[in-house]
Amino acid sequence: MSPLAVRRPRATWLIQAMSFGSESAPPLVFREVDLRERPDHPEKRFQLTVGAGTVVVAIGDEDSGVGDLGAWALGLRRPPAGRVEVFGAPIGALPYYDLLLFRRRIGYHPVGDGLLQNLSLRDNVALPLRFASDHRQAEVDGRVNQLMDDFRLRSMASLRPAQANEEDRRRAALARAVALDPDLVVLEAPFDGLTSRAAQDLLDRVSRREDGTRRAVFATVQDLVPSVRKTVQRVIKVADGAAVEEAP
Amino acid sequence: MTAVVAAIGRSGARRLSVLGGLARFALGAFRAAGRLTRAGRWVTLRVLINQIRFTALQASGLVTFLAAILSFLVISQTIRQLGRVGATDLIGTVIVVAVIRELGPLLTALIVVSRSGTAIAAEMATNRVMGEVTALEAMGIDPYIYLVLPRMLGAVVSVAALMILFDAVALSSGFLAARISPNGMHFPRYTAIVLATLSAKDVWLTLAKGLVFGAAVAIFPSYHGLAVKAGPTEIPQAVTRGVVATIVAIFVSSAIFVVIAA
Repeated sequence: MSPLAVRRPRATWLIQAMSFGSESAPPLVFREVDLRERPDHPEKRFQLTVGAGTVVVAIGDEDSGVGDLGAWALGLRRPPAGRVEVFGAPIGALPYYDLLLFRRRIGYHPVGDGLLQNLSLRDNVALPLRFASDHRQAEVDGRVNQLMDDFRLRSMASLRPAQANEEDRRRAALARAVALDPDLVVLEAPFDGLTSRAAQDLLDRVSRREDGTRRAVFATVQDLVPSVRKTVQRVIKVADGAAVEEAP
Repeated sequence: MTAVVAAIGRSGARRLSVLGGLARFALGAFRAAGRLTRAGRWVTLRVLINQIRFTALQASGLVTFLAAILSFLVISQTIRQLGRVGATDLIGTVIVVAVIRELGPLLTALIVVSRSGTAIAAEMATNRVMGEVTALEAMGIDPYIYLVLPRMLGAVVSVAALMILFDAVALSSGFLAARISPNGMHFPRYTAIVLATLSAKDVWLTLAKGLVFGAAVAIFPSYHGLAVKAGPTEIPQAVTRGVVATIVAIFVSSAIFVVIAA
């Protein structure tokens, strides 16, 4: 059992994060959001519900607006119309510090990787544990060691992002996204530049929680390789601002 | 006429808005200290020690050199003039009021701004442009805690420590200038003259200036660095804005200190 799982009751900051939203609500819901800023076409609004424990991928061209979905899901930006709910809470309407607290329930992989360039890969993975939870240093170290092993980063732990290759950077960014064992993970273009085998492996690791159950994963991509489709429960094609269900 | 008044009003409103933004930013940085996590405290302490190493330790040579030169020049020039009218005892007032109280803190703060203020502004602007600030916010980490707080504490401690170093070197160098002057002042007399002029007010003024100037050295460059939006081409502009604003703030607060301490 991981050090994080053993000592979870002392992580009061994470318990505070759980106070937002409702446990019975779906992890992520897009309600009539306007992807193309055309409020005169309400029928072309984007609707999507990401259920608990499911892996959902939204595919779309660069100009389809699919790239905005991740930032809206995190409350980093607000959609021009409609609303986004995370565990039932309207994330875009929360005050700044509540939003910071709430985001500890959500793992996030931004486009590129969002790693801090002046930190080693290990310190990048440790960052949310050190600053967004109140675990002790020993607990943080234990959890980081576990993540470095799980994501096969042990041998390059001391490298800075600029010294590591793209796959290792991606592994570190994804390890950081699941460091707090969140209920929902939002991934933006997570498979760019990866082999199909590496992409499948990483998606499989990201979708597994510490207790062995599946977590909700929402990914936005421009293209999806067939091998990754095997791990995905739903594939949504964004076409003309609306969501069209595709076979995984 | 209306257009001129409107233009002046717009400019004034813009400046007031920047001041308001700065005040909010500074308040946010101070309040961030209360939200520091257990593990975060150790990391912040590590960053703080690094910041003190870069800001204070690496600047100590330059501060020592400039303090020695400045004090030597001021005292050797002044003591000759005072000697002509038989008022060499006033040398204590010159070194305490001019060097220790005014020039020392100003020069120390300017050295730190030119070395660390530029680095802080450039680093913050790069963090913003590279999307690292957004990544921090997305992880639920307050950028004030991770980026601004350690730099602010580091700058405050560093500026205060460098001011004390400046004062010590300036007093020693002042003695050297007084000793080799035609009047050849001895150490006991020099010490007695300086101590007669020094007061408790000088101690708290030095500490207060260290606090205010140090906070300015971190807050202004951080604010302008994090305000970058467009891209890498904006980074040099942010550095310039941050450094100029800090220098202006240091001179203005120095004038305010004079009024308060009068």
